[in-house]
Amino acid sequence: MIDQRLYEEFRDIGRDIFVTGLTSSHGGNMSVRVGDKIIIKRRGAQFGRLKHSDFVVTNFQGKDSGIVRASTELIVHRAIYEKTSALAIVHAHPRTAIVLSLSRDEIIPIDNEGSYLLRKIPVVTVELASGSKEMAEKVSEALRGYKIIMQRGHGCFAIGQTLEEAYHWVSALEEVSDIILEHKLLGEEMIEYRKHSESYAKW
Amino acid sequence: MQGWAGNILDINLTSGHIETVPLDRDMARLFLGGRGLGARLLWDLVGPEVEPLSPENVLIFTTGPITASASQTSNRFNVSTKSPLTGTILHANSGGWWGMQFKRTGYDALIVRGKAASPVMIEITPAGVAIKDAAHLWGKGVFDTTAALEQNRNKRNVLCIGPAGENLVRIAAIMNDKERSLARGGAGAVMGSKNLKAIVVEGQEKNKPADPDQFKFLLYETGKLLKASPLTSQALPEFGTAVVMNVVNEIGALPTRNFQQSQFEGADKISGEEITDTILVKNQACWACPITCTRITQTKSGKEGEGPEFESAWAFGAQCGIDDLDAITEANYQCNDLGLDTISMGNTIGCAMELAERGLLANDLGFGRADRLPGLIHDTAFRQGIGDDLAEGSYRLASKHGAPELSMSVKKLELPAYDPRGMQGQGLVFATGNRGACHETGNMLGPEVLALPRLIDRFATQGKAGIVSVHQNSAAVIDSLVYCKFANMAVAEEFFARTLTAVTGEHFTADDLMMVGERVWTLERLYNLREGFSKEDDTLPARLLHEPVSAGPSEGFTVKLAPMLEEYYAFRGWDKNGVPKPEKLKELSLEFVMEVAHD
Repeated sequence: MIDQRLYEEFRDIGRDIFVTGLTSSHGGNMSVRVGDKIIIKRRGAQFGRLKHSDFVVTNFQGKDSGIVRASTELIVHRAIYEKTSALAIVHAHPRTAIVLSLSRDEIIPIDNEGSYLLRKIPVVTVELASGSKEMAEKVSEALRGYKIIMQRGHGCFAIGQTLEEAYHWVSALEEVSDIILEHKLLGEEMIEYRKHSESYAKW
Repeated sequence: MQGWAGNILDINLTSGHIETVPLDRDMARLFLGGRGLGARLLWDLVGPEVEPLSPENVLIFTTGPITASASQTSNRFNVSTKSPLTGTILHANSGGWWGMQFKRTGYDALIVRGKAASPVMIEITPAGVAIKDAAHLWGKGVFDTTAALEQNRNKRNVLCIGPAGENLVRIAAIMNDKERSLARGGAGAVMGSKNLKAIVVEGQEKNKPADPDQFKFLLYETGKLLKASPLTSQALPEFGTAVVMNVVNEIGALPTRNFQQSQFEGADKISGEEITDTILVKNQACWACPITCTRITQTKSGKEGEGPEFESAWAFGAQCGIDDLDAITEANYQCNDLGLDTISMGNTIGCAMELAERGLLANDLGFGRADRLPGLIHDTAFRQGIGDDLAEGSYRLASKHGAPELSMSVKKLELPAYDPRGMQGQGLVFATGNRGACHETGNMLGPEVLALPRLIDRFATQGKAGIVSVHQNSAAVIDSLVYCKFANMAVAEEFFARTLTAVTGEHFTADDLMMVGERVWTLERLYNLREGFSKEDDTLPARLLHEPVSAGPSEGFTVKLAPMLEEYYAFRGWDKNGVPKPEKLKELSLEFVMEVAHD
């Protein structure tokens, strides 16, 4: 079912996500939508070492036995595909973004590139933090208005037309978060250089 | 007004009755305006029993909720009707000033029904709405008609047909603001069939945003994105749409000599660079547009006008094996004045050239005959000699001469300037197009060639159906707002959703808009199913499916349509016959079409 081109995209992006520290060896997951099917990383597969056998093809909606091997977060992926026009999803655990999510309800970039690309990243709180219906509901709803969101204390979900696009938002989010953290650690007052920057909070 | 004006103008040319009816706000929320509102109104007004060129067909001119708001590119408008070329639902849209001005008259839409006893025009001004005699304009070209009706860009705008529309040419365009066009599918012939020569508009009302502060912020942010994109800030202003001529040629996707080859040795001579270097006088913008892609040009003989756009330069250029830029440009001017779709005209001439070279058409035509363009175009508009056959479009022309497979068309609409053997996704776009082979309804040039928003493998097929569907839905909603698709190459749907929210005061997310797009696309599909179209019509010319490209970067490729089509139906929630499933119709609030889909 998964062709070589798509496998290589999964493999290369998985490798990049791991080596750039955006998730631990086995954490996070990713998927693409093909027709009425979802191709999703197998539960427990290593992000940086994805093999042909590390993928599960499952139905877009409804029940099938594929779920026994699929990522724990399949329910969230299904909800996102149902509620948004996403064709690819990346879920990772970017560390600095997680740190910021512990004390903020939204992450607003202060750097130029981050402002341009993301404007604002909302943070949602989920009590049952992994694979729950509550998580599926809240995350998918938040992604109707944003291309990447944070789940407090857990990680991010990013959507795109391709895996590469979703990965871009994850990578950008962590850069945004590193800059916010380092600026805060520096402790100096920011000189605002962006016209209408106060409106980003309303994005 | 804040977004919608709330009024539809309904004119019956047979009876002369003029009526203003309220816009159904629930309908507006579901279909927005433009192409979506046009499709929804057409569903109720024109059924399968109606012949496209009969008085029972209607023309529906629509604007969108953001039209005339001053949001970047908010100048466009749409016409919907049943196509005399394809028999499918037809939507066509255009830029310039007319759409903005029509919205300022206080109407969201104009429905034109019936047929006048003699040539007339409609005038909509602050003084009222009037049907006036236009006998003195009948037979005149678009340029003379536009001048005679006192076109004034910011105050009074003219939309009209030329002789091609009057003579019921199936590839006739409706023209506005002199040289902008609602080009594809023969809407000009429908207007001609109603004896309607022109519609003149003067408006005074303003589309004021409900949230001016947020609107101002979005104007600023959108402006930044348009400036940051090399396409909208550099390539299109400097070289016009023909900037992609060399790009498409280099990858082996520029159809040449009626799609017999996919690279044209003369591409450089008809490219955007060549236009800028040799014939460009200045570039020009539509209302509220910072992109300025319009070319004002002058040929060596001193003729001046708009164009050529990429598609027109290709149609009279590579498609016909012609690399004479002056001849191509003057053919473009001539089509604008006669009111013809340049894509279908050039494509059909290319088809005739191949028919002649193969001995199937008794004519000395052949590829490269630039000298024959003016005569063929004239004769098409006036239905004289061979022009009477060309006026029927390439499919009917090729069929008449025993070789329908030589028509490069889908659902009888001529293909534009992309060889889908080198862009597999584009092949799926063409095959599934609701108005036939069309690049404006989900163009894959962005993802498959220009890396917008991401570069994907142009030869791959797996996963392509989803990307095509998303692009089709996106195009449908942009056509319903109505924005320009070039803006969308720099600005994502989330900006359009926020701008729509700021203008109307009603909350929309990007995914709300994408659902509108899917709803519009699906309704158009249902319209065509009601007309008798089926899965069998979701196909491509045999040449593209069975004849591999003979040389160049796309050598050896045909379009692998079957697997993409299967994936496409599944992605869209349609059954294996391409019929939307009941649960999908319910999800899209299209229950009113259920009877047609599942009787």
